[in-house]
Amino acid sequence: MVILERDSLCFRFPEIHPSATLTVTFMRTLRVPDDGSTYPLPAGIDTFPMRHIEDYKDTVPVDWLNRGGVLLPMYQSEALWINFSSSYPMALKIAAGKVNAITGKGWSNELGDAPQNYVVVPTQPWLDGFKTSDDSVNQFVAVPLGHGAATAEEQVTGSAEFGGIQIIAFPLKREIYDREKAEELEFLEMPMFSRRECSESVPASMGLGLGGKIKQKIYEDDRAISDWETTGSRCFVHLVNSQAWQFITSEPVPHPPIPKYEYVRHGIPWFELYDDGASSVQGSETLSKLKTTSAFAATKPNDNMPIDIASTIVVNPNSIVKDGDY
Amino acid sequence: METLGQYIRKHRELLRQSDRSYSLRQVAERVGIKPTYLSKIERDDLAPPSEETLKKLAHELELDADVLLAMAGKVSADLRQIICSRPELFSALLRELKSVPDQAVLKIVREVTDGDW
Repeated sequence: MVILERDSLCFRFPEIHPSATLTVTFMRTLRVPDDGSTYPLPAGIDTFPMRHIEDYKDTVPVDWLNRGGVLLPMYQSEALWINFSSSYPMALKIAAGKVNAITGKGWSNELGDAPQNYVVVPTQPWLDGFKTSDDSVNQFVAVPLGHGAATAEEQVTGSAEFGGIQIIAFPLKREIYDREKAEELEFLEMPMFSRRECSESVPASMGLGLGGKIKQKIYEDDRAISDWETTGSRCFVHLVNSQAWQFITSEPVPHPPIPKYEYVRHGIPWFELYDDGASSVQGSETLSKLKTTSAFAATKPNDNMPIDIASTIVVNPNSIVKDGDY
Repeated sequence: METLGQYIRKHRELLRQSDRSYSLRQVAERVGIKPTYLSKIERDDLAPPSEETLKKLAHELELDADVLLAMAGKVSADLRQIICSRPELFSALLRELKSVPDQAVLKIVREVTDGDW
């Protein structure tokens, strides 16, 4: 079952284990420059609000209602990262416009291991973008669906049908969990220091395109694919532009994304996940061939000016936090 | 049974083991209260602080605000508003659910819909 709790999606599997609960939160963040550099992980500024889609039957298209799920507002060119939190191991597939963010393949409701098409939580605490190379991702950036083919969906499938973000979660089988516990296998815990938060008539749907590069691995699953439950819980997150959000929900337009100069001026930190050389899933060849959003729309002169990163905060899975040079 | 003060101190100290910014002084500064006041809260020397302060503490220490409020014998304003908007219905509902197991309560929680996609 999936529950919306205070702007977080909670995937609960009480039939598997009382603690089999995964929380997924979508974080507002700085859009990193698309300048060829690879940036560290930007901080989460705030969480995006979400609402049950069926509460707005009169203001959303019927096909959105048929998909179910939740609504989330984003500004055009705004960036997000996805925060995962669970002490019980979960395998999680994430797609944008039904294009898998790890492999670039089309959507399916099953896990796959050749290549691995999912992330494992809590080993993987965050996902910032599309897996375009072995040790980096291209940031998730919101772009209008069906206007210039900038979304990953349009570039991969040639159509602008779905947009949004799709998630399906599978808990570890209870017997595997109990066995691992008995063997006192130490799971990596979520870091304590988790990238702190430092008028239209037709709703405009948004999809995700590729922004600048961010250093991030997708960790290989060290369990067998048969260790995971085969029935998961899933959710469709509809992305709407901020004006459409106001029209649909009658709530105020969300505050605009943080500009680069504000991020720098306030000294908001950058992060890096210390992983002791843990191996990463290979980058997707399909995704690596996609164009970034700046290839589709005129950008302001300052949009992709490099940012000078003085230092990063290294977040250790065992919660040891230290300053590092970048 | 663990008191509110013990609970707050335990979690702050846990965070402090890996991040020195969770010292009593720095947490108090970020929450907007005096370190001596936070110290007294942690020692249960004073009555629990206001709802606003408890929520700030919960946010700062990555704790559930409702849990902290409950330990302080309070109910958050939004929950009060929900109950007061339909007092008979929600009072009856809560009394009815008083002894129901967690798993059964979760079954009546509103789920995010899943459709055809």
